Amino acid sequence: MTRFGRGRLRRILLGAIPFLVLGTLWQMNAVYRWLAPIHMPPPAAVWSAIFTLQEGCPGLLDALRQGSGCLLTNHILSSMGRVALSLLVGLPLGIAFGVLAGIHRRLGNALEPVGVFANAISGIAWVPLAIVWFGVGWRTTLFILLNTVFWLVFFNTLLGVRGVPRVYEHGVLALGATRWKVITQVYVPGALPSIVTGIRMSMGFGWRALIAAEMIGGDRGLGFMLFVSAQEYKTEEVFLGVLVIAVIWMLTDRACLVPLERWTIERWGLVWRPS
Amino acid sequence: MYDGEFAAVVGPSGCGKTTLLNILAGLLPYRHGTVQVDGVPVKGPGSDRGVVFQEHAILPWRTVARNIGHGLELQGVPRQERRRRVREFVELVGLAGFEERYPHELSGGMKQRVALARTLCANPVIMLMDEPFAAVDAQTRITLQEELNRIAIATRKTILLVTHNVDEAAFLGDRCFVFTRRPGRLKATVTIHIPRDRRIWKEVVADPAFTARRDEILELVRAEVRVE
Repeated sequence: MTRFGRGRLRRILLGAIPFLVLGTLWQMNAVYRWLAPIHMPPPAAVWSAIFTLQEGCPGLLDALRQGSGCLLTNHILSSMGRVALSLLVGLPLGIAFGVLAGIHRRLGNALEPVGVFANAISGIAWVPLAIVWFGVGWRTTLFILLNTVFWLVFFNTLLGVRGVPRVYEHGVLALGATRWKVITQVYVPGALPSIVTGIRMSMGFGWRALIAAEMIGGDRGLGFMLFVSAQEYKTEEVFLGVLVIAVIWMLTDRACLVPLERWTIERWGLVWRPS
Repeated sequence: MYDGEFAAVVGPSGCGKTTLLNILAGLLPYRHGTVQVDGVPVKGPGSDRGVVFQEHAILPWRTVARNIGHGLELQGVPRQERRRRVREFVELVGLAGFEERYPHELSGGMKQRVALARTLCANPVIMLMDEPFAAVDAQTRITLQEELNRIAIATRKTILLVTHNVDEAAFLGDRCFVFTRRPGRLKATVTIHIPRDRRIWKEVVADPAFTARRDEILELVRAEVRVE
């Protein structure tokens, strides 16, 4: 193994220690009963909650088709599907407006304060109003997500485009580029590291906001599952939900977003600063 | 300017040399007078006037080859033809073997060679150069000046170079336009009659035809700086 690989492995192992300690304490509680199972269900109960929730699910294919018995996977797919949908809509919109505001000085100056304003409000703060507007259901959760994704991507794109040196534009104009080519070949690639950072941030904030929105204003999804399970005192399902939320986020961030961010920044020859 | 001429604009800092070049490039609007290329008035930037900037204006996310071929790409030249012409200019500026590198992997002098090749590869009518060697070290600058001279011979391009470096102007220019201090006006035109193929630093420093002209320009420029 290379030196780099060994260092990386050591870091991962070091980072796993707190989890192992917590896990051990958790298992010890199951044996010694310091806390009642209703407050702190044993790991085995949380594990078996997966199968209880998936009881009516005939197989993997049905789970993917969101069959009626597959409760856990349905909630997961519902939450993740909304994230994907909000990205699909919010990303192009955020990038388009961000680029426009970035290259048009007046428009940029007009829209920048709104961007700061919108980003100052956490996604959850919109939930009560969203319920008034859209009622309980998918519209509310989607609105919360879209709101988070759009403003963060918009703002980061705007800053990214502004940070592109003017001399790049001048150089490409002198090669005979049209305004459109300047946008697609100078401003968008130049702002890409910043756009990717915006995507990563919006996913982080969006995921948190979504869970909260599903709890209060949703009728499905992991947040909704947490809320309903807690009301029915199924603590093991609440534990399971919390763990699933965290694991999904860690996997998305570490396996997709961080490498994507690192790749764009390194390729651009900018210094990668570990966050 | 004549066809195939190498003109150098010299003057004290802040006299508007760069502004003049940006107006010629069409990147800045002008209030009075006219700018024409082959009788056609300039209305904005265009591929007939290539520009090599002071800073490294090449795009950091494009490889050397894709930066050099950018102008042809914008003109819609087919890939095969593009590849052939890019190879030609990569070799002209001595960057063979570096085609797939990114700018951040290159030295300052190499980046400026890429910028030069990028401009030439788009085949402009005239090449405008704004202090192209200001950011590189003295040794590299001398090498690049001799290379630019070689390239001027090989391509027979019309070139306008803006510089505050009197040696550079005298070494490269057929005619040197000396500007006054701000607001910059044309003060004098110095013609230098040294054949291109004899413009090598080792030779010209011993050539009175060069040193006399250079000292003449130097005096003209220093007179402007002194008044301040």
